[in-house]
Formats: sequence, structure tokens, C-alpha cells
Amino acid sequence: MELSPDRKEIIRYLGYHGVSPDEEVLREIELCVEQLQKAVTPRYVYEKFPLSRSRGQNSEEQLCFAGITVASRNLSANLQGCSAVYLMAVTLGPGPDLLIRRAGIEKVSRAVILQAAAAAMTETWCDQVNERIRLEAERNGLYTRPRYSPGYGDLPLTMQTDISRILNMPKEIGVSLTDSLLMTPSKSVTALIGVSQIAGDCRRSGCAECSASSTCIYRAES
Amino acid sequence: MRDLRERLGKEWLVCDGGTGTILQSKGLKGGELPETWNLTRPEDIIDLHCGYLRAGCDIFNTNTFGANALKLPGNLKEVVTAAVELAKEARRRAGREDAYIALDIGPTGKLLEPLGDLSFDRAVELFGEVVRYGSEAGADLVLIETMSDSYEAKAAVLAAKENCGLPVCITVTFDEKGKLLTGGSVDSTVALLEGLRVDALGVNCGLGPEQMIPIVERLTQVCSIPVIVNPNAGLPRTEGGRTVYNVGPEEFSDWMEKIAAMGVHVVGGCCGTTPDHIRLTAERVKELPFREPVRKRRTVVSSFSQCVEIGPLPVIIGERINPTGKKKFKQALRDNDIEYILREGLRQEDSGAHILDVNVGLPEIDEPSMMASVVQKLQSVLDLPLQIDTTDAQALERGMRIYNGKPMVNSVNGKRESIETVFPLVRKYGGVLVALVLDEDGIPSDAEGRVRIARRIYEAADRYGVPREDIVIDGLAMTISSDTTSALTTLETLRRVRDELHGHTILGVSNISFGLPRRALINSHFLTMALQSGLSAAIMNPGNEEMMESYRAYCALAGLDPQCMRFIEAYGGTPEPVRVSAAGTAGGNSGTGNAGGSGAKNAGSTGAMGLFESVERGMAESAAAAAREALKSKEPLVLIDQELIPALDKVGKGFEKGTVFLPQLLMSAEAAKAAFDVVKETLQGQSQEVKGRIILATVKGDIHDIGKNIVKVMLENYGFEVLDLGKDVSPETIAETAVREDIRLVGLSALMTTTVVSMEETIRLLHEVKPDVKTVVGGAVMTQEYADAIHADCYAKDAMATVHFAEEVFKEG
Repeated sequence: MELSPDRKEIIRYLGYHGVSPDEEVLREIELCVEQLQKAVTPRYVYEKFPLSRSRGQNSEEQLCFAGITVASRNLSANLQGCSAVYLMAVTLGPGPDLLIRRAGIEKVSRAVILQAAAAAMTETWCDQVNERIRLEAERNGLYTRPRYSPGYGDLPLTMQTDISRILNMPKEIGVSLTDSLLMTPSKSVTALIGVSQIAGDCRRSGCAECSASSTCIYRAES
Repeated sequence: MRDLRERLGKEWLVCDGGTGTILQSKGLKGGELPETWNLTRPEDIIDLHCGYLRAGCDIFNTNTFGANALKLPGNLKEVVTAAVELAKEARRRAGREDAYIALDIGPTGKLLEPLGDLSFDRAVELFGEVVRYGSEAGADLVLIETMSDSYEAKAAVLAAKENCGLPVCITVTFDEKGKLLTGGSVDSTVALLEGLRVDALGVNCGLGPEQMIPIVERLTQVCSIPVIVNPNAGLPRTEGGRTVYNVGPEEFSDWMEKIAAMGVHVVGGCCGTTPDHIRLTAERVKELPFREPVRKRRTVVSSFSQCVEIGPLPVIIGERINPTGKKKFKQALRDNDIEYILREGLRQEDSGAHILDVNVGLPEIDEPSMMASVVQKLQSVLDLPLQIDTTDAQALERGMRIYNGKPMVNSVNGKRESIETVFPLVRKYGGVLVALVLDEDGIPSDAEGRVRIARRIYEAADRYGVPREDIVIDGLAMTISSDTTSALTTLETLRRVRDELHGHTILGVSNISFGLPRRALINSHFLTMALQSGLSAAIMNPGNEEMMESYRAYCALAGLDPQCMRFIEAYGGTPEPVRVSAAGTAGGNSGTGNAGGSGAKNAGSTGAMGLFESVERGMAESAAAAAREALKSKEPLVLIDQELIPALDKVGKGFEKGTVFLPQLLMSAEAAKAAFDVVKETLQGQSQEVKGRIILATVKGDIHDIGKNIVKVMLENYGFEVLDLGKDVSPETIAETAVREDIRLVGLSALMTTTVVSMEETIRLLHEVKPDVKTVVGGAVMTQEYADAIHADCYAKDAMATVHFAEEVFKEG
């Protein structure tokens, strides 16, 4: 399996606003993608859980799944009409981090490009795993919602601890959390994907959903 | 009860099966820690054990897989002690007093540094605590299992050995490609664990018996000690919220019979296996003829991911990480400039070294700490195994302990003191030991004397329980300029060690030409002669093209390079190098054995682009070449003012206007740096202006340092000196350094909102201990508002903004 990241995404992550990089940079990008493809060990784990809702002390809506309870307005909106939720975690493995550390010593410009390319590759890998989940849901007559991650909007990053425990991430895919709740290896993503019997607004994802969209320099143009 | 060590590898032994599956069927909920049942549901745990004991297992695990102080901070001792007591009770009830209680140890769930944030020493502590409680309570052995990181496995084994005298067995988890989650292979893992002298090793979990077969095959080919195989009951799937496995007891035992016949010594099961799986497996396997483990006598060293075998193919050990005779290297050690050392390592890996020698000995530095720190940093960026080279016993132990693999150790010699110091360390940590054939009486002048010392060292290895294949004899190359027969003596020593002692040999090759002109010429020919005489490992500079040519040509000629593939890969398509016949005019690369990175590769690659354009376009090689050319007609300072600085400024302004983007900005900066380096060579001796000294650090809790590294490159380009404290740096370290070095500007970076707190704490502490210090902050989540809220003096939106602020701060004087 070869992960081919979207070159436009890499260029966007590098801060180019609708301008094409010069040849030297384009060559570097291809070189970095090639190195990364040799270094990655993509893994994933996901599991589906029934979703229910309750009211908290201040009558705010709470979401209950996999034995945990979360109050998050953004996640509630994302999971509206859903009867179940998939928890997923994916990683490219420790290889990209090693390459980036190396480049940080030898050639920082390459580290920057590796970083962008690895981020784009992580997205590609997420999309592929997401697609498996979508197909699995489809077979059961269900529709998926856009994936949503801890740290987006008002969904607290502390949820990482729960997801890590529930999916047994250290053992299943070799991803563990630091004390400050960062994932290592760094090219890893956790997400929630709601499923519903109603076909819905499942296209609205990406920048429009993000609370930082007004200030972010990496915002997609369209 | 018979000592388990007397039975391991002598007769079939059977381990128990899955725990989680059975406890789930007894009502364990997802997310509940199974170990707490030792206190809350003791009868269920006894029942679990009895099931396996009655099924005929010989070794069974306490319910302590996830028990460590991170997961059970309050009652670890109670839980572990109870687990052993329940196992004893089960043994009584099942009438199986002959069965061994294995103190079960699983991974911590945290990744070790540098991948994660758990330090190696802390991991050893965490495991050690469990081992102490378990052995005090009466476990019969320690069984470390389901390890998927070699470094964590090493921490657990050391903890077991340092905290009890029980047998230590370990099984690790490979994926279907035969790799650990952190990249280790079967070969590298076996090298590490055999070096740590475990009593048995093997595989468990992750895969079913069928998928494990290729891994077991390789294990039995390379392993010299008893092999354990505990597969899952096939592959898992979820059924109604519950995990089920697809291989039943009958099919499982079919596979296990096959696996046992491959040369395995201990069998059992893991996830999804039940007492029925184990009963059938035990019945069928114990009918098979038993084959004792065979010693493989391979000389291997390993890194976290690679295993390098010494012989039959000779290996190259890069010698450049060594301060001897290198002014810049010494300065780097004094300045704690570890990046300089890392670059030296990466360059040698690129040049084709198989192993890297690491020597950081300098009288005025703390060598043990430096060794530990350099080894840790090197293994975080390099795949190659390391050779720890020191005469300081403490530095040797620190390096060997922190090393993620089985190292080479340089060196021991025939002196009693040396033998008594070094062998115990190799016995404990594992390693391939370089043995110098000299003793209290000095270096024997003839081969006979050297071989005699070699014999004595082999005998010492036997006494200390270090396998003879883990010794390589250094025949000692000494310059022919003082004794023209010295090469012959060395070569004869190599031959006799190979033919009479059947041992491997090593040499510091370039010593042979010390004091002579055209050293590379002598060195490369001597290398060929030594290889022909049986040399197994050459310590040399892999950047020396002539020696690499000799090495590659020898391998091709000696039938050690199948289809000459490696030779063709190195030289296919490159033109014949042009040799200049008049001695001494061929440039710097033919005179010394130490000329790095010269040779065919660089010949004739100079383009005709000017310095300004090279920098603007971000082409480092061309910028260096252009600078060299321009210096023939221009003064260095004029070149800097008229070409380098204007080019940098143009790119910098373009970046600020949004017409030049980050990658180009950095590539230009790197091209400028390459040119600066050339200019500096001609400026040698003259003091260079440093505009100011600045601390940069990524704050505590944050492990993203790319932004900080970008800023560093830019600041250095603009003439500032950067003290790079790295990532995940505590406020105290930053404050202390600022005071000690009298720093006026500190740059802090944070990527996550969660770590901005550390940034605030750092600034608070800095203001407290050094009120005149200025702070500049940056990072993905940083904004002007954030920066104001945490009282930073400047928010820099990018690297150029930091440069401008730095110029402002230091202009104020």
C-alpha cells in the first residue's frame, strides 16, 4: 500500500497562498515524499460504540459512549441525529519523526518540507481509514458524519486519554500520550465519526468547522 | 521444586493461555483494570489459574500484566502481592506444586524518550518496583511479555535482573512483517536480549499461530537460547461488542505442533486461548521429540532497528566521532555542541559506515555524562549500531546502559585491571568486545606474543560467561614509519587469530601510515592486505574515498558481493576519477587519511552561478563553490557585504512581502551558511563579530521543535550566536542558563495551547531571576493577545520577525 499525499495540501501547509513553488522546492517535495513512503508504517484501529444523550447539572447536553460522558456543544452538533459513534486512531509510525529529527540537524528546509508532507500523508491515511468506516457503515445502512477530533472547537484534549484507553492505542498501533497529552509518534490522529440512519450534511468538514479559521494561515482558499 | 533454569531448553515446557478473554467472560468490563480483581474478585483469579494448571501448563502468569505505579499509583504493592498469593493458592488447590509462578510484566503504555516522554531510568524504576514486590511475595520467575519496543524491553530486563535473582524470560510482539512497533527486527531483538543474558526469549500476542510461522522460523535460525512461542487464538473480530478469536483448540494445537517442531522449546497461548487450547497443545507437543537449543556463534551488534553481523562480510566502523587531533571537535565537546557530533555521525552513515565508533573523551569535560548524552542523541537520529569507545569505566557503563541495542565495546586488553573492569559490564549489558593484544608488559613485538594475549582474553571471556564470538581481536596497526616490519606483524596476527583461534579481528587501519606522506595511498593498500589476511572489521574514515574503493573492490573480488551489486551501486555510471600524477597537486584529498567527503563524487560539479544568485535560489553547493571562486579576487569582508548580505536581505524582504515562502527562505539561508563557512575558513584567526547571544528553547511539555530550529537558522545567518536548549525544556533550566551565561534575549516556542502555560511559567521565572532579560515568543497557537497575557516582550509571527526583534534588542546596546 502506497500513501500518496495530495501535493496541493503539502504546498498549502508550507504557507504558499495559491502560488506555485519554484522547481527546487517542488523537487525537494518529491524527494521528501519518497523518503517518507519508505519510512512510514501506517497502522489504524477503530471501534463502534452506541451513542446516547443525557442532561448534566446545568441541563447541558451530554454525550455518552464507550463508558464516557462528554459535554461539548461542537461535538453534539457534529453528532446530531447519530445513534452510534466510531472512535478511530491512525498513525504513520515512528519513521517520519526520525526523518524529521535527522533533517533538523542536517537541513532545516528539508525538515519543514518533511513536516508538511508527513502531515498531508497523515490526512491521506485518515481519509483511507475513514473510507473503510464509511463503507462498513453503509453495509449496515448507516451514514457517516465528518470526523471530529479532540482539541477541535470546545472538545477537550483530555479526551485523548479516554480514546487511548478505550482503543488500547499503545498496544494496537504503538501510539502513546505524553504527560501534556501530545501523541507520540507525532504523525498520529484520533477522531470520532458519528453514524446515523439519516443521510445528512456530511460534507461540511475542514476549515469551516474550525474555531481558528479566521486567523489560521493554513486556511484552505475556497 | 527443580530450578526452572535446569529445565528450560532441556524438555518441553508449556505456558498458560489468555487472561483477558476469560476475565471478560466472568464479567470484566471494558476499561476496568483486570489487576484490581486480585483484591476484589480473588476467587475468580484462582479459578482462572486452576483452569490452566489442570490443563497441564508448567508456567503460569500472575494477574499483573498492567500493574505498575503509573496505572496503580495507590496500591501497587498490595495488588502485586495479592496476585502472587492467589497463584500460590491456585497451585495448592490444583495439586500442581510443580508449576512455576511467573511474575507477569507488560509494557507501561508510555513510549520512551526520544519517541515519547518516559525516560529510560524512570522505566527501569517502574519495572523494578513490580519485580521487588513480586519476588518478595514468592514468584518463581519473571516473564516480561507483549513488548513492542526494544528500549522498553531492555529497561524491563535490566530492572528484573537488578531487583531479583529469579530466571528472566521475555516475549515480544511482532507485526505480520516481523517488526516491532518501534521498528526492531527479529535479528536486532534477539541480539539485544541474548546480550542481556535472559534465560529464554520468544514471541507472544499480535498474531495467530499461522501468521507467526515466518517469525518463528527466523527466531529459531538466529537464537542460541530457549525459544518461547505464545500466539493468539488467531485473528480478532468484534461480535456484539465483544472480541472473539477465530482459531479453536483443535486447530490451534495443529499449528502449535508444527511450530514446536521448528525448534521451539516453550509453547503456550495468548489472547483468546483457553484451557482447552492449552490442554490439547500440551498433549500433542509433549509427544514430539525435543531438540535442545543450538549455539549459533554469530557475532552481531544491533541498534533499535538494525542488526549488523561481523563476518563473513567485513564491516566498516566509522572513526570520526573522536576528538583526537581535531580542534573543531574538541571545541564542540567543550561547548556541548552535540549537533556537531550528530552531523559527523550522519555523514558517516551516508558514506557507507556499518557501525559508528563514539569517543568523547576530553580531560576537561565530564565524560560519563557526555557519553550518555551523545549516545542518546545519536540513537535518536541514526539507524546504525554504535561502538562505545572509552577508557573511563564509568563512561563505558553509562553508554552501555543507555544504549538501545547490543553495542560494540572499545575496548579491553590483556591487563588484569582492564579484564576485571570491562568483562563484568559486557556480561551484564551485552556487547561485542574489542580486545587489544597488549598487557602489563606493553605491546608484543611479534605475532606470537600478540596471539598469546588473545588466547588469554578468550579464556577470560569463558570465565566471565561472555561467548567467545562476542570478542574481536585488535591486531594493533602501528605506523610503518618507525618500524617497517610492523605491518607484517599485524597481518600475521590477523591470520593466526583467524586460522588458529577461529576468531574475528579488527584494526584501526589508518594508524599504519602515521608520519608518512600520501597516507590514503598506504592506508588503502594496507586495508586490502588486512582484509585478505582475515580482517573482519575496519575502524576507518568512511569519507575517505580511496579506502572505500579498496573495501568495495576487495568484497567484489573475494566473492562477498553477490553479482557485484554493491560495487555497481557505488560506482556504476560514475566516470573514472581523474588522477593527477604530480604528487601533492591533486588538492587536499590525497594527502591525509582524514580528508572527509572528498573524491569522485564532488569532482567537476561546480556550476558557473554567481554567489548572489546561488543564495537567492537556495543552492548550497553552488553557493560554496561560488564563494571559493570569488575569494580569489575579493576580500572576504567585501564579499560578505556586497553579495552575501544583499542576497539574504532580498530573500528576507521577499518573505515579508509574501513573494518568497518558507522553504525558499530556509534554502537560501542554508546556501548563505555554506558560503559563510567558506569565507570563515579564510578569516581564520581573525575574530568574527557576534551580534549577540540568544537562548532558544521549546518549552516544557512540548516536543515540537521545528519552528525553533527555523528561527535558529535565521538568527545564525544574521550573525547571532544561539544557545539551543532543545525541546521539552523546564523553566528552571532556561532561567539558570540565562543567568549563568548572562543572556539578554530568550526565544521561546510552543505549539500547543496546553503548553503555553509552561511558557508563561518560564517568563515569570525569568523575570524573577533576571529582570533585564527580554523574551520573544512564537509558535502555532501564539497570538499577540496570548503574548501580552503572558508578559512576553515580543510576539514574533515568523522567523524574520524574531531576527528584527533581536537586532532591535542588541542595537540598544
